[in-house]
Amino acid sequence: MPPYERESDGNTMSDKIISLKGVSKTYKVGPSTVRAVDNAVLEIERGRMVAIVGHSGSGKTTLLSLIGGLTKPTSGNVLLNGTDIWAISDNELSVLRNKMIGFSFQFASLIPTLNVYDNVRLPSTFDGAPPVREDRAQDLLEMVGLGDRGNSFPAHLSGGEQRRVALARTLMNEPQLILADEPTGDLDEDTEGEILDILRKINAGGATIILVTHSRAVASQAEYELRMDKGHLSEKPAEF
Amino acid sequence: MKRLGLLYLAAQNLRRKPFRSFVTIAIVAIAAGTLFSATLLISSVNRSLEVGMERLGADILVVPEGSQESGEAALITGVPTSFYMERSVADQVAAVQGVDQVSPQLFIESLISSACCTGHVQLVGYDPDTDFVITPWLEQNVDKPLDRDDVVIGSLILANKGETVKFYGHDFNVVGILDATGMGADESVFMTLDAAYAMADESAQDAATALELQPGQISSVLVRVAPGTTIEQVAQRIKTSVPGTLAITANELSRSVTDRLSGFLKGFIVLDIIVWIMALLTIAAIFSMIVNERQREIGLLRAMGGKRGYIFRLMTTEAILLTAAGGLTGVLLGGAGMFIFRAVITASLGIPYLWPPLWFFALLVLGTLFLSVVSGVVASLYPAISSSRLEPYAAIRKGE
Repeated sequence: MPPYERESDGNTMSDKIISLKGVSKTYKVGPSTVRAVDNAVLEIERGRMVAIVGHSGSGKTTLLSLIGGLTKPTSGNVLLNGTDIWAISDNELSVLRNKMIGFSFQFASLIPTLNVYDNVRLPSTFDGAPPVREDRAQDLLEMVGLGDRGNSFPAHLSGGEQRRVALARTLMNEPQLILADEPTGDLDEDTEGEILDILRKINAGGATIILVTHSRAVASQAEYELRMDKGHLSEKPAEF
Repeated sequence: MKRLGLLYLAAQNLRRKPFRSFVTIAIVAIAAGTLFSATLLISSVNRSLEVGMERLGADILVVPEGSQESGEAALITGVPTSFYMERSVADQVAAVQGVDQVSPQLFIESLISSACCTGHVQLVGYDPDTDFVITPWLEQNVDKPLDRDDVVIGSLILANKGETVKFYGHDFNVVGILDATGMGADESVFMTLDAAYAMADESAQDAATALELQPGQISSVLVRVAPGTTIEQVAQRIKTSVPGTLAITANELSRSVTDRLSGFLKGFIVLDIIVWIMALLTIAAIFSMIVNERQREIGLLRAMGGKRGYIFRLMTTEAILLTAAGGLTGVLLGGAGMFIFRAVITASLGIPYLWPPLWFFALLVLGTLFLSVVSGVVASLYPAISSSRLEPYAAIRKGE
């Protein structure tokens, strides 16, 4: 089985993997309150590839972080596979993130003191991580075309290579959900194409993908777009 | 899958900022080294006093008035000295109420000249008939009383059993070597009073400088008090009953050493406290900086599934690694410093010194390491807790 395909978890494609029920997130900035996400309601079915688009500062990344349980909503509920993630303990949420979600950030998100191989396998070494094959990290590196760079350190990789390693790490624990924030930001066209190709393969393998992007080319890969505007989430069919 | 150990991750993180890690290790090393060497010095001096006083075997030492300082120096550090008084003093002391046993001793400073003397050392004459210091040891180790040409030497005298040593032109056979005490006895040569008088008598012909000693003269009287009386009471009685003498109790002798030591250590301990506080503050500041610098990384680890406890353990493991390395360096440097400068310290302070037993040494090493590590954990506690409580998204955003 290719490394981007997931083992069957018994769920059907019609299941809702994500449900947001009136989710809001506000921040205090000096004396004023900023409403980054305002009463977002959303349901995403398993196996979809969804793009979140919008201007800078519209709340896209905050929405992605709310979905991934990286930040607690000021109000509302976030359900992953039907589980209210803020009704469980912090340790349980950590295990859930580790097993179920793969994050790809918009910045170089590798640990600089670990080599490429250790960076990829890092998620599988935490307490509560699901068992994975011994050679999975190497398989994933092969998949992203960096099979021979396992011993290199992040500082010796190009930006595009670092993104590919980070993407390989995202898949380490066979997550059901991939949250990718600007996965191709700052990359040249060729590298962007490679990353999108990998994302398509992952999606075809059964994982749900939500990506935040400015790029029309990237957004066009999604089945549909969600638009963020000043914290308001609206769903509309993709204009492809 | 083989785990990525916390220890490995922590060590890798510390290698990232080698200078900062070095500074932290150095500060902890100074704190640990000062503590280690000060404790080693105190325990070595105490052990030496314990063993030395037991070897001295007397409750009170009576010396001529004006000879207290040189007498103490001879007993404590073996600085050679000569002073005399009449033997009748021993009889007067023996007559004082509360005195159980007395034994006279003679202190003779050997000559520096190599032609006459094996070395510049303290020669001690004792009376085999009344002695309660050397005689019990001889009975156990030599199995015969000393002849006129026999000596027993301290552990630091450079001669072996069976060899001959020369003082004031007189050859003596070394029949025994005393165990180390760390005190003046280690650098002294013991002979009978008769042997000392004979040596003095012959010195006019055999030595470059004659030994001006009359038969019957002594330097000190060792006193044991009778059970049921206090040493201080008896010492007071001797002072009033035997004019021209000074009665020094064993406690006073110890106290004069500990007073000298505490004067020196006072500054040392104040310095150590300051360095420990500095070390704690530095570790706390450095770990606050580390947490601040690595917020994004902490957020990433949390996003990947690292639990709060994992982040806390990672931070404290880094602190433990730094402080353990600092503690170990401090112990090694402190130990080496004491080994190298021991002679200078003891000579300049006029204190005895006897290395502690191995078990104490091991305990001191472990104790210093433990204290260093505990300090590191305590100092890094707040940054470690606050880093583990960071919300992953906030940490990632702050790190951008």
